[in-house]
Amino acid sequence: MIASAAPRVFLVDDDAAVRRSLARLVKTAGYEAEPFASVRDFLARAPYDGPCCLVLDVRMPGLTGLDLQEALRVAGQRVSIVFITGHRDVPVSVKAMKGGAVDFLTKPVDAETLLGAIRQAVARTLTDRRRQARVTGIRDRIATLTPREAEVFALVVTGMLNKQIGSELGIAEKTVKVHRARVMEKMQAGSVAELVRLADEGSVITAGS
Amino acid sequence: MSSSLLSLRRACLALFALLWVVPAPPVRAAAHELGRPGDAGVWPAVAGAVLIVALALLGIQLARERAGRRRAERSLGERLRFETLLSEQVATFSRVSGADVDRAIQRALRRIADFLSVDWGNLTEYSDGSQTARVTHWWVAEGVGPQPSAIGFEEIPWVVTRLRRGELVRFSSIDELPGTEAAVDRHTYRRLGVKSQVAVPLTVEGEVVGALAFSTVGTERVWRDEFVQRLHLLGDVFANTLSRRRSEMEGQRLLQDLAHVGRVSTMGELTASLAHELNQPLTAILSNAQAAQRILHSGGADLVEIREILGDIVEDDKRAGDVIHRLRGFLRKGQLEFSTLDMGELVSQVARLVSSDAIIRNVVIRLDLAIGLPPVRGDRVQLQQVVLNLLMNGLDAMRECDAGERALVLRTFMASPASVVVAVADSGVGIKEADLEQVFHAFYTTKPNGLGMGLAIARSIVEAHGGRLDARSNPEGGTTFSFTLPTSKEGA
Repeated sequence: MIASAAPRVFLVDDDAAVRRSLARLVKTAGYEAEPFASVRDFLARAPYDGPCCLVLDVRMPGLTGLDLQEALRVAGQRVSIVFITGHRDVPVSVKAMKGGAVDFLTKPVDAETLLGAIRQAVARTLTDRRRQARVTGIRDRIATLTPREAEVFALVVTGMLNKQIGSELGIAEKTVKVHRARVMEKMQAGSVAELVRLADEGSVITAGS
Repeated sequence: MSSSLLSLRRACLALFALLWVVPAPPVRAAAHELGRPGDAGVWPAVAGAVLIVALALLGIQLARERAGRRRAERSLGERLRFETLLSEQVATFSRVSGADVDRAIQRALRRIADFLSVDWGNLTEYSDGSQTARVTHWWVAEGVGPQPSAIGFEEIPWVVTRLRRGELVRFSSIDELPGTEAAVDRHTYRRLGVKSQVAVPLTVEGEVVGALAFSTVGTERVWRDEFVQRLHLLGDVFANTLSRRRSEMEGQRLLQDLAHVGRVSTMGELTASLAHELNQPLTAILSNAQAAQRILHSGGADLVEIREILGDIVEDDKRAGDVIHRLRGFLRKGQLEFSTLDMGELVSQVARLVSSDAIIRNVVIRLDLAIGLPPVRGDRVQLQQVVLNLLMNGLDAMRECDAGERALVLRTFMASPASVVVAVADSGVGIKEADLEQVFHAFYTTKPNGLGMGLAIARSIVEAHGGRLDARSNPEGGTTFSFTLPTSKEGA
């Protein structure tokens, strides 16, 4: 199956028997499985753009599952994670979930539960990536604005009228109107409401990263 | 006897003197007039006869006296040799250690029975409280049929009752046993062929703990008082040795119990790690089994894959079983079992036991094991416990330090041809120089939930194996605990 469209599940667990069994199980649900014995091995792999998710053991010799979660966040890679762990550790699970994990499952894990979580994680990876692509697009558009247009943009989304913006920036209302039209055009916004949404999405990411 | 001999001799001498002195003139006259037969009187003949009789009497007496002296000398010599034998036994038993007691008693029984030329010698121990007796050591002369290793109480009730009361049993012939009271005993001895016996109770602080008995089979024997006295002495020596061993064994049992408690509490600390070790195979088993179910359910049954899955399930199940098995072996509570051990192997096994725990704590365990290390003799479980204890302490010592610096190094090497060393070095917070010895004291602990017994028990175990356990600070920080064990003389 070359360049198969089947979503890929990356499995990282230091236990060979666990890796083998999980890989088998995942394949029965139509996924492609790619097992790794350590976090380091996984990080050595080139980022994967297709639909995928990560099934990750929390505790392993060397770098742990949480370390990998952090590394992916820093690298800006969007791969949703399903954690599986030998024993419930509340602080660790809280940290994992806050870090965006889809689920935190306890070994031994039931097939339905795991496959459900994987399904969810693959979907989350997709939506995350879509949103990321959109945000990148918005920010690219913002980057095309001139400094004056950016100022006008920032004030328009606060709900100010052209007159108020003009007095705020010390320019004529007519000039504001021209800038505003350019902003709407560059940002590909059909209405002020849409412009506000774009600003929101763009700035959420700015604050988040 | 000697005084009567003396008086007899004195009487003879007196008679002789009387014959010589009182009738001197007639005797002399008779001598002078010997040539004249007709003049012969009765006197000289009487005197001569008396003299001859007296001399004969004296001679006989002297011979008897000499024989008596020889007998006395012989018996004195025999007694002396017996005394020597006894004092040798006393000296031996005052030194003998718990493990060698049986052999020493066996040897002593043989020598004494040999010396006395008796046919059977045995030592019976009465177990306290219960009504049972066990013949623990026995000796049988060559050519004599085997001695029954256990004669039931019910077979010799009269003898046992007496011994239990702390009384001596002595008979030169079975007929000396009291009529009706000892009828059963008499019957038993007759059946066994026992003709005579002397048995002394062994008492320790007033309590009868056993009996020491010597018997003859086939011939009757008179047991002299002085011998019986000496036998009491020997009985005391045996009794003391047995009671010392009993208390040594109690001490050992106490250590075993403590060691067990120590293991259980160490295991408590290891629960997280063990849960992990069990969870891995269980996870694999469940996933494999459910994968197989799904494959079968989808209808596309790939038999090769199903066979592989089943093979994996079997393997993982065994793996889980091994974890349990190891755990049970480690928590075993029971008698010490000394065997020949490879410390390198033992150390690796324990390191595996804590490997999951080390991962959880982010500690790297490094093994540096000498190749071709000579074996040692010891109890596997107890020595595992010592190593485990040192490992867990090492892990705990590094709780506070940076993750990057957490390393535990286990080394085995030879200190000399006669001793093997196991060393556990941590890179932890270290121990103050003044506290290095303190840590081995009972109830010394730095852990919130610690018993403070771990190192005290570990040291007792190592010392019971003839080794030493010490702690010293590492120049680069942290502490090294190391213990020595004598190498096994028997070889691998």
